[in-house]
Amino acid sequence: MVNPVLLIAVPLASAFLIPIAGLLSKKFEKIIPIAAMLFNFIISLMLVFPVLEKPVQVYIGGFSPPFCINLFAGPVAIFFSILISLVGLLISIYAASYIKKGATEKYHILYLLLLTGATGVVLTGDIFNLFVFFEILCISSYALVAYTNDKAGIEAAVKYLIQGALGSSLILLGIGFLYGKYGTLNMAHIAASINTITAASDFIPLVLLITGFGIEAAIFPLNAWLPDAHSSAPSTISAILSAIAIEVGLYAVLRIIFTLFGASSMLLFFTFLGLTTLLIGEMCAFTQTNIKRMLAYSSIGQIGLILFAFAMGTAHSITGGFFQLLSHTLGKALLFLSAGYMIYRSGSMHISSLQGQAQKMPYTAFAFTIGAFSLVGLPPFIGFPGKFMIIKAAMFKYEMLFTILAILVLTATIIEGVYFFKVVQALYFKGDDTATPKQRAPLIVLIPLFLFVLLIIGIGIYPKYIIKILNTTGKEFINRFDYIRGIIR
Amino acid sequence: MRKIISILLLFILTAGFTLCLLDIPFGEQKTKVGNYYINNGARETGAANIVTSVVVNYRGFDTLGEITILFTAAIGLAAVLGHPKKNKDPQPKEPASLIVYTGYRILFPFMLLFGAYIFIHGHLTPGGGFQGGAVIASAFILMYMSSKDKKINPTAVKIIESLAGLTFVGTAAAALTLGRPFLSNFMPKGEFMTLLSAGIIPVIYIAVGFKVGAEFSGIIHDLTGGN
Amino acid sequence: MDFLNNYIYYIGAFGLFFIGLYTMLIKKNLIKIIIGLTLLDSGIYLFFVAVGYLHKGTAPIISGHSPASEKMVDPVPQALILTAIVIGVSILALALSLAVKLYQHYHTLNIKNIKELKW
Repeated sequence: MVNPVLLIAVPLASAFLIPIAGLLSKKFEKIIPIAAMLFNFIISLMLVFPVLEKPVQVYIGGFSPPFCINLFAGPVAIFFSILISLVGLLISIYAASYIKKGATEKYHILYLLLLTGATGVVLTGDIFNLFVFFEILCISSYALVAYTNDKAGIEAAVKYLIQGALGSSLILLGIGFLYGKYGTLNMAHIAASINTITAASDFIPLVLLITGFGIEAAIFPLNAWLPDAHSSAPSTISAILSAIAIEVGLYAVLRIIFTLFGASSMLLFFTFLGLTTLLIGEMCAFTQTNIKRMLAYSSIGQIGLILFAFAMGTAHSITGGFFQLLSHTLGKALLFLSAGYMIYRSGSMHISSLQGQAQKMPYTAFAFTIGAFSLVGLPPFIGFPGKFMIIKAAMFKYEMLFTILAILVLTATIIEGVYFFKVVQALYFKGDDTATPKQRAPLIVLIPLFLFVLLIIGIGIYPKYIIKILNTTGKEFINRFDYIRGIIR
Repeated sequence: MRKIISILLLFILTAGFTLCLLDIPFGEQKTKVGNYYINNGARETGAANIVTSVVVNYRGFDTLGEITILFTAAIGLAAVLGHPKKNKDPQPKEPASLIVYTGYRILFPFMLLFGAYIFIHGHLTPGGGFQGGAVIASAFILMYMSSKDKKINPTAVKIIESLAGLTFVGTAAAALTLGRPFLSNFMPKGEFMTLLSAGIIPVIYIAVGFKVGAEFSGIIHDLTGGN
Repeated sequence: MDFLNNYIYYIGAFGLFFIGLYTMLIKKNLIKIIIGLTLLDSGIYLFFVAVGYLHKGTAPIISGHSPASEKMVDPVPQALILTAIVIGVSILALALSLAVKLYQHYHTLNIKNIKELKW
């Protein structure tokens, strides 16, 4: 049985190793992130079957739970760990050829530390440790958004940093209130003492923690930083931020709502919040002419949809939420990577400059089309089962309110379909009839795109196996007391 | 308009926080884990400074995350500031006055010694790796303030950072190879209240002291213009 | 008076917090906003340490002067604040470096004038 602590220790040691290895040879700085993420992926796969029977726990330091930090590797943690390592691996293969200018060694160190922080957030069972690893994730993303050093990048990074730092301080204040009232920092111990959230001294920490984590998760009023940051960063960074960073922020919000506080009375409020985020994201994306900004607003919308699915609270809707999270991660990463190379070749981010790219770069344009169709939710791709499960779960509630909400979700999906179709049409049909020479993207860029397409089509055609695993995953959020009993003996 | 909304927000927050603070009495015993650390900390870890035993041994994972954050910030700052634009009109640098320069020459070795004392004795007296590293960095700030020619070597700083970080993770992982949990105190605990006691705590704190000192010096070097 | 004696630390800590928050919301100069962030963080650190205090307790260090039988304050908030101060310093360093670069590009630090990225 593998020790889950290796999932954090090995990437961390590799990140410390890169400066020394970089002094020996320049090639090491590209190989080390790929090797570390491959190691993480293999270890996470080895842990899938043991964890589905009984969650693995690691006590750091050898003492027993509230007196030490514990890592709780349950189904949710291993699901996220597989996702983080797989997407991180594929994007780092792409980045090996895409990132050429600037201090490339520092890019790879920051990238590996971002993934380490994300893995740490999902594995830990202690709330202050959650804050520390969340800060690793946030600080490396602030530095990576500013990586290109041009006007737009620095401005976006400043806005992101100020809002993110304010959020972190609010999280720390919330932890302070919780420690003052309950005297312990272990999430299971705090959860065992909280039964309702009617007291002000339980409600205020909940609000502070959700506001703080919600800034990173890009929930409605707190997402002003996202369109600028995701559109001004280099394309590999936009991909990893949209695919992993905001999902991990959303995981933290869900862990607070479901496991720590058990706030079932507030779930209706979160349903409305998720729906508002979805509608605003899709409507703003509809009016964009800059393709990366359009994809960034689409990310906001999808996070709103995933929050809506989780906040409905039934077993079906939570499984649907996890599946939609999987499909958004794979689809959005594919879209940013393929759009990134097309932007690099054509030189501008305007949608009109993408016209006819399908003739020049047929494989890349095909990958973009597959990603777009999957995100909208068309049948043979991975996006379809997710959205289908969410709408079915909303209808199964048999209340008028939820039927109206389901209709609003469908409206948002239609808007999404319209603007993605506009872009795909621009790709394949050019204005004038001049023939352009083919100029394929290099092979090292095409391999990750091809693997993403394979996963999207493969899981889309046969989702039953994944849905069965996600059913067990969903139970961890619904059965709060099983989580508590698993840690406290 | 913006001021009015902000003041309203502050009033609402004050009301909320006051309601919350009524449940947190000042000066009362409210902790479950603190008593355990006070009663058993010295015996289980061998360190006389209980805060050190909490930071390095009981909550050592947080310390690992903390040095990672400092490392990330130093690398990020170097990445952002790494391309200095050519100044159109460079301001002439005045040399420091004689008092500052003489003060630097007298104080510099003592400041380094004091910083080293703080992080080596982290398990016996108040202090530790972070505090000692900050004092060492202040010695280097004095160096930058007092003479325009003396600079630190960025490659040496990079090597010290990486080696110190690898020492910390390596010591923690070495416990795994011996079959004990990650970051447990596997070295002999020695005699209480002497310098060579408390197992891995002095080792980790010395590594942290070097790392923090090197990192802050690197940050100062980048902020004052680099090479 | 007894009330003030007990709660003066909370009032001081939250006073710093609110001054920092007001500065962050109102001021237009980027350096002032960053200073406001630092003040806000300082307020939170003071609040945390005040939570751990025990009446007539002493520092949690065993030495010749305070043997192990003395009443000691809670060591956990002090350990947490060590970590939080280092995190705050790291964010401050990164923010200041971004402010330096922003000034090099825009030649102003007034956030009202930095609006290149719009809708």
